[in-house]
Amino acid sequence: MQASRSYYAGIDAGSTYTKGTLVDDRGRMVATAVDMTGVNIVLATKKVYGLLLQNAGVNESDVAYVVGTGYGRYRITFGNSQVTEISCHAKGAHNLFPQTHTVLDMGGQDTKAIRINQHGEVVDFTMNDKCAAGTGRFIEGSARALGLALKDVGELSLKSTNAVKVSSTCAVFAETETQEQLAWGNKLEDVLYGIHASMATRAIGLLRRVGIEPDITFTGGVSLNPGMVRALEEQLGKKINHDGKTMFCGSLGAAIFAMEKATSPPRAEVAAA
Amino acid sequence: MPQEASLSFDSLDKAKRLQGEITKRYFQSLTAAHKEGKKIGYGFVMANPIEFFNVFDIVPLYPEVTSLNISYRGGAPPLIALAEEEGYSTDACGYVKMGVAAATDNTSTAIGALPKPDVLLLTYSGCQIYIHWWEQLHYQTGAPILTIDVPYVREYDGHVDPHDVKYVSAQLQEAIPEMEKVSGKRFDENRFKEVIALSAKAWDLWGQVVEMGKLRPTPFDAYFESIYYMAPITIIRGTQEAVDFYAFLLDELKERASRGVGPTAEERYRLVFEGVPNYPFFKKFWNLFRQNNARAVASTYPKVAGMVDTGSFRMNPERPFDSIAEYMIHAYCNWNMPMRTRLLEKYVRDYHADGVVIHSIKSCRSFSMGEGDMREYLAKDRDIPTLLIESDHVDPRYYSEAQIKNRVEAFFETLALRKGVA
Repeated sequence: MQASRSYYAGIDAGSTYTKGTLVDDRGRMVATAVDMTGVNIVLATKKVYGLLLQNAGVNESDVAYVVGTGYGRYRITFGNSQVTEISCHAKGAHNLFPQTHTVLDMGGQDTKAIRINQHGEVVDFTMNDKCAAGTGRFIEGSARALGLALKDVGELSLKSTNAVKVSSTCAVFAETETQEQLAWGNKLEDVLYGIHASMATRAIGLLRRVGIEPDITFTGGVSLNPGMVRALEEQLGKKINHDGKTMFCGSLGAAIFAMEKATSPPRAEVAAA
Repeated sequence: MPQEASLSFDSLDKAKRLQGEITKRYFQSLTAAHKEGKKIGYGFVMANPIEFFNVFDIVPLYPEVTSLNISYRGGAPPLIALAEEEGYSTDACGYVKMGVAAATDNTSTAIGALPKPDVLLLTYSGCQIYIHWWEQLHYQTGAPILTIDVPYVREYDGHVDPHDVKYVSAQLQEAIPEMEKVSGKRFDENRFKEVIALSAKAWDLWGQVVEMGKLRPTPFDAYFESIYYMAPITIIRGTQEAVDFYAFLLDELKERASRGVGPTAEERYRLVFEGVPNYPFFKKFWNLFRQNNARAVASTYPKVAGMVDTGSFRMNPERPFDSIAEYMIHAYCNWNMPMRTRLLEKYVRDYHADGVVIHSIKSCRSFSMGEGDMREYLAKDRDIPTLLIESDHVDPRYYSEAQIKNRVEAFFETLALRKGVA
């Protein structure tokens, strides 16, 4: 019985993408899944959970506990409990890079700076104010204005030799701002790198508010973007942790919370015994 | 009274209802004032010398108080829209926009049509836009502006030089002939002393109320409930009714304490609050904390009517003008930033709080300026968990539930880890 239910799942229903991670009973990442969140969060989370089980080749009955996180965490109908993505990103970053003390999470609609202790627990955090300027949404808008696929934007920006100064990173005006820069005769890659550099400046401002203590781990969807990694490293003057798994830190953290919640003995029963 | 285990919180929550009745009567007195031949004086909450209105039988109207009450009842958007149609920027203060709109001819609000001013007492120099607000009301209504220039508390140690007190005190005395002209009543020094004596009694009781937050558990929420309790000290101070209200409240809270009853099922977290609350979603906002069994033990906002717990003023009938002047100079937003920050730190220490919540509002720069620095100082230099969230006090457009909820929940997750109760 115990052996058959030895997996734990985390579902991160973000504003743009829904991510899923499955871990085994030793907290090792077994599978991941991702899909657009879209308008129906309930459906998106079910779909991602289905994909996750499929990718791992396990049955739903093999999963002992599910934790939901992200803005849509209360819409995850099959979840057992919820944890905010702030705690989850901290937990996930600590799992992938145990030396992490500072986490930068850049998602579709917000950017978070999180300071954590040696156990991966949140000590302090701060987020962009109630405005999506400088978040992943700005890159999306720019990509759309340029007719580029989102995944190509970062790669292309790396070709820049003379970055343009982009002062406004308002997500709503991203398209007009980008068009305006091109109309001035600037090269595409220079505009793109300028956008990344400007967003990095804003993000580092957030990091400074909680205090920058190495290692810094970069998480969230934007951590897959090599242009943003370069801009951050250039301005910070140091290397940051990131890899193909860091975009799943939220759901990974949730999966580890699921494992901890399922395996720690319920207090009431302990007291009764 | 016999001990009843099943005694509900509701039976020890009567002061709020009493406050509701007082406020309702106060609004009725506003709308009836002109019909009864009384004069209306507009004033600001911070640094308000209500005793100076009382002695001339002038009914005080605080457009901040009327605006927040209108907003609490969901009535802010039409007034804000009206002011914006007139050309006010979306960035301009919500209180100002609502106040200007409410003074426009034939405007009815959620609390009725507000009477026009007969005199505009301009006492709050801490905010530039407030000065222009009174000027605008003067253009709209023709009511005279009486300016009492109130200096800031300029020294970091918080002391105020005697010449600053003299400066404010002299201005009040110089304003007497103008107030006599507006009210048609002679200044009566004995009556003034009586009013100040009643005011002092209410301050003493209110001071004892806020100190109840030091109890563990606190019998009341020193932010969300104090927002109700602070009304009488602003709107009816200087009357026996105000004294009676605070005596009743103090008894009720003592009774709560003796029975172990409070505004949440249990007291899991003790918090200190800074900043103006969100009025259009007040109960939702409170619920974000209440459902986590968090209680405010101390807060700065309920002290905007007067810094009652800092020893910075004491109403004294024997030195009526000087004691009012000291009270006015020590308005919260007249305090410099190091003083404000130190007060929060002191609250955390004296009230055994687990953390600080700062609610910053877009409308008010004089309140919200520097709150980011407060957060940094408390979190980084003092290792006090501190949350900064933002919306507005009256404009519902700036409240986004998902954003605030996320931050508040994450803050509680952090506090739970610290306390080891996760």
